[in-house]
Amino acid sequence: MNGFGHGRVQAPPGVQCFVGEEARRRRRIEERVVSVFEGWSYEEIIPPLFDYADVFLGELSSKTYSFVGRDGSLLALRPDFTSLLAKIAAGRLLQQPAPMRLYYSGEVLRYEPPKAGRQSELFQMGCEHLGGAPPTADAEVLAIAAECLEAAGAKDYVLSLGHVGVFAGLVAESGLDAGRVEALRERIESKDEAGVRETLRGSGASARLGQALESLASFAGELGRLREAQEAFAFSPPAAAALDELGQSAGALAAAGLADRLALDLAEVRGLDYYTGLVFRAYAPGLGFEVASGGRYDSLLARFGRPLRAVGFMIGLDRLALLLERQGGLGSTSQPRAETLEPRGGLGERLRLARERRRAGARIRLDGGVR
Amino acid sequence: MSLSVALPKGKLLAGTEALWRRAGLPFPESEGRRLVIELDGVRFLFVKDMDVPTYVEYGVADCGIAGRDVLLETGADVLEPVDLGFGRCRLVVAAPRGTPFDYRRVASFRIATKYPRVAAAHFQERGVSAEVVKLNGSVELAPGLGLADGIVDVVETGRTLEENGLAPVEEVAVSSARLIVNRASYHARRTAVAALLDALRRAVAESVEAR
Repeated sequence: MNGFGHGRVQAPPGVQCFVGEEARRRRRIEERVVSVFEGWSYEEIIPPLFDYADVFLGELSSKTYSFVGRDGSLLALRPDFTSLLAKIAAGRLLQQPAPMRLYYSGEVLRYEPPKAGRQSELFQMGCEHLGGAPPTADAEVLAIAAECLEAAGAKDYVLSLGHVGVFAGLVAESGLDAGRVEALRERIESKDEAGVRETLRGSGASARLGQALESLASFAGELGRLREAQEAFAFSPPAAAALDELGQSAGALAAAGLADRLALDLAEVRGLDYYTGLVFRAYAPGLGFEVASGGRYDSLLARFGRPLRAVGFMIGLDRLALLLERQGGLGSTSQPRAETLEPRGGLGERLRLARERRRAGARIRLDGGVR
Repeated sequence: MSLSVALPKGKLLAGTEALWRRAGLPFPESEGRRLVIELDGVRFLFVKDMDVPTYVEYGVADCGIAGRDVLLETGADVLEPVDLGFGRCRLVVAAPRGTPFDYRRVASFRIATKYPRVAAAHFQERGVSAEVVKLNGSVELAPGLGLADGIVDVVETGRTLEENGLAPVEEVAVSSARLIVNRASYHARRTAVAALLDALRRAVAESVEAR
């Protein structure tokens, strides 16, 4: 097209291609993470690549690559796994008793402009614990996330823990309108105390509530601040209950030797229409965005007719691979040297020899005999 | 591990330096063309004002100083924990003085701006669709020369608008300088980030008291 014939090999933005060493590294990381899921008795599930578009609701629906099926139904390439797993748990696996432990590993496709660690084609590995209550299931899932990062070789990672019930509880009976609540949520998510103050101006919110929301924006850092938060928000029973629940999961993890890996982040208030309890993200030095994220989503399965509580998380393979590369964590994945079969005798004779060496477990290279 | 801080080379630089010094933090002497300066274990990156959020969002810099106007325009996903109080200005819609600029009553109109995202969102939220023309400077000239019906731009004193025969029509947003922090650095480099945050918070509080 441009006179050099490059038009034919041009790649659309947001897609990736991995070759040789890069591909091997990704497989190696995937194997390590998947073996952790298997080790905690999670069952693999390989859901379909596309499904009816209405399976994927909320924020995801605007990001799907959708198309019309031959029968006129609207279909979409999977933009995430969790919705599909919820649907399958309520459908094909309806007879299977809860709790169910499921994991997945594969690509999802999202219409997303490539930016800061986001691609249109993402490889996600994650697990879902369906039918379990906090703090037990929450703590289990967090422990698995920690082990996945350790198994992959990530250094100095931090799991930042929050609970959407704190913010939701504070605003529940505040009488603030939905628009203002969303504006507040967005400012708290940015840890912008001044913005929270600004947003509350003229809202009629009580001074106590205003102060609580403002401080929520900065309730992040050491896990020890949880106690401080419990005092500050004790006036709101739902917020206090949320903090109590978070404290139990975090306390269990700390007792299990993960205290150094935990941080508090009550300003973690994304996806309020989806998450219903614990929310967390994993960060590590060397990567400017989270490497894993997850939380509790107790209302999703009811949408498919099987009301089960649920908690899970997802690790982005692309991000994890980038992190390990920056931290120098993965080591070499180079293959043992291959035996080259001398071009002696006929092709049949060489193939016979090759098969014999392969049966013995050797890595071979069959050269074409062009010489 | 050393902290990286992205600083704006433009109009927020003087205020940034003053704040840094008030906080008792070492600030790199301006060395002309050098854009990366290491000082006392902190790496300073001097970049264009509009680019600061990008460096911080990608984690190339752990922290940075950016105006709220720039944050709104770039839409960067970063933390904004401290309002630094300086660099105060307003983003406004402005139009030629004396002509009634009622964009709701015309079928189409054109807006010139350095902030195309903010401008488009502002009019969309009001149920109208503006034709937005992106300019890189001297935006105030556009209406007089017939390039646009109005502009969206930052105003500090309003003098520039006045000199170009323009007057503010409505406010889009208020802005001031913010300390911004990368989401991952906030937790993964908590000690260093928290120390900087505390020092700057104290300096801001002192300057508010002094006022």
